[in-house]
Amino acid sequence: MHNEIEKPKGNFTAEICSNHQVGPKFYRLGLEFSARAAKIFAKAKPGQFLELDLSSAALPPSEVIPAELADACRRKILLRRPFSFFNVATDSERTTLDILYCVLGAGTLRMTTLSKGESISIIGPLGNGFCVPQGKQTALLVAGGMGAPPLLHLTETLVGDYPDIRIIAFAGAKTKEELLFETQLDRPAAEKIERITATDDGSAGYRGFITDCFTKWLKENPVTADETMIYSCGPEEMLAKVAQTAKEKNIDCQISMERLMACGIGLCQSCAVECRVEGEGQTVYKLCCKDGPVFDTKEVVFKL
Amino acid sequence: MTKEVDISVDFAGIKLANPVFTASGTCGYADELADFMDLNALGGFITKSITARPRKGNPTPRMVETDSGMLNAIGLANIGLEKFIEEKIPLLEQISAAVFVNVAGESVEDYIAVVERLAAEKAIAGLELNISCPNVAKGGISFGTDPAQVEEITTSVKKAAGKKVLMVKLSPCVTDISTIARAAVDAGADALSLVNTFTAMVIDIEKRKPVLANRTGGLSGPAIKPVAVYMVNKIYNEVAKSSGIPIMGVGGIRTAADAVEFIIAGASAVGVGTWNFVEPDGPVKIVEGIKKYCSHHKISHIKELIGSVE
Repeated sequence: MHNEIEKPKGNFTAEICSNHQVGPKFYRLGLEFSARAAKIFAKAKPGQFLELDLSSAALPPSEVIPAELADACRRKILLRRPFSFFNVATDSERTTLDILYCVLGAGTLRMTTLSKGESISIIGPLGNGFCVPQGKQTALLVAGGMGAPPLLHLTETLVGDYPDIRIIAFAGAKTKEELLFETQLDRPAAEKIERITATDDGSAGYRGFITDCFTKWLKENPVTADETMIYSCGPEEMLAKVAQTAKEKNIDCQISMERLMACGIGLCQSCAVECRVEGEGQTVYKLCCKDGPVFDTKEVVFKL
Repeated sequence: MTKEVDISVDFAGIKLANPVFTASGTCGYADELADFMDLNALGGFITKSITARPRKGNPTPRMVETDSGMLNAIGLANIGLEKFIEEKIPLLEQISAAVFVNVAGESVEDYIAVVERLAAEKAIAGLELNISCPNVAKGGISFGTDPAQVEEITTSVKKAAGKKVLMVKLSPCVTDISTIARAAVDAGADALSLVNTFTAMVIDIEKRKPVLANRTGGLSGPAIKPVAVYMVNKIYNEVAKSSGIPIMGVGGIRTAADAVEFIIAGASAVGVGTWNFVEPDGPVKIVEGIKKYCSHHKISHIKELIGSVE
């Protein structure tokens, strides 16, 4: 059994420091941790996540509830909701971080009413997170829609701790306003990384899928496979395409996956990700919360 | 003041420091929870189901939230008996809480094979017979809904269990749960745990398809609590009280008040399940809350509460 100091995660209370809209349906929630939680979250790795207890968050006034959520929002929240985070800043006393969320259901709708100064229960940091293997000179980041936050977090770490690594970010979304990787990227980091964007409607960057830009870029810009790393997060169809490209080019690729989960800590076994077993024809289910959410694409059997 | 209250329980001959268990399938193999609470503060710990061979479990989605509850259709995913003994027993040996291993299988022979091996493990106080899982094609609930089969499997497993306490976990998805409980007790069950989940379904009305890949799942959480309390009280009155067999009450417990309600209904111990997903240190808070309740109501020993409903 671990003693108090060694425990790498826990059940904490955070204070809300901000909560504002950053795009159509998109919001950014700022949290502040103190004491032991501040120390633990300061060490969180990009790609890790936390679980928010939204059960006591109020619904917004009925006149601002979107019509498509009018029925769904009546449901009471029982389970926590998982979110990745970024913009981690720390001093000796406190650690702050941000969550990006999209209002899609009963939980995220309630999140919009959280206000500065309120307390919220949080479990984390959870999961494995991305890693940067030795000898990598180039990092290619592919972000799709709501897949931006863990890659924004990774960008902070790469810019801060790996100044020699060249970073090229490929970010895609439906529209310019939904291009979260672009709109929420910090200015200092923005100056240090190369960026390519795509939108479905052509309102920013290429018109079309970011995966097409990514594949085209790799054709035109040969990279040394051993010295390159691909990181991606987004819809599973997109991840499967990125994985295919990585396989063809023989480049290592880590992706952050998403599954419905009840607990986030390996208890409920809901968040199964089908994985190949090396040297065997069969597959196993790994847990997105505990074994992931970051997986090597060589092992993942995509659910398409 | 709270220190004077004795909430220790004799549960089928096992001396428990308190009546609070973590319920099977919601607390892993214990290592997952060690970061969140002191496992020694529990009365008991029940592992997720162990089968003779490893099981992958069902495809996803395996879980969906409902009003005050959730459905799961995990399909008894587990690492299998050998790996369990090798990798998980070492931690379980260290905790002072009474360890029960939940056992599942597709045939009576499967159950016997697992129980015989586990009966030799010192770290294990008892076995919980899972004859009530609604999410597998073979075995599980099919054993637990027919009194003749309950009697057969309980008799066989009891022999294999040797001196270990055998607790039989009952399904609520039956016409008369007392008939099933009586069959288990007549066949030698030392304790009963109830209830397992209720078979249920959630439909996506846009796709007109079930949300779960398994179509149906087991409903758990606060939504089932009043039904579980009713069933515990029914079994207490109709089977357990007269035979002296203790009940573990399970179903939607979140608070000490919920736990006390089950105890007053007739449970000697309680299992905290779905709530572990939300508050992984919840069971320990419930232990403290039970002490406060007893202290506040001037109850010197918790056994005064068991089955005390008028």
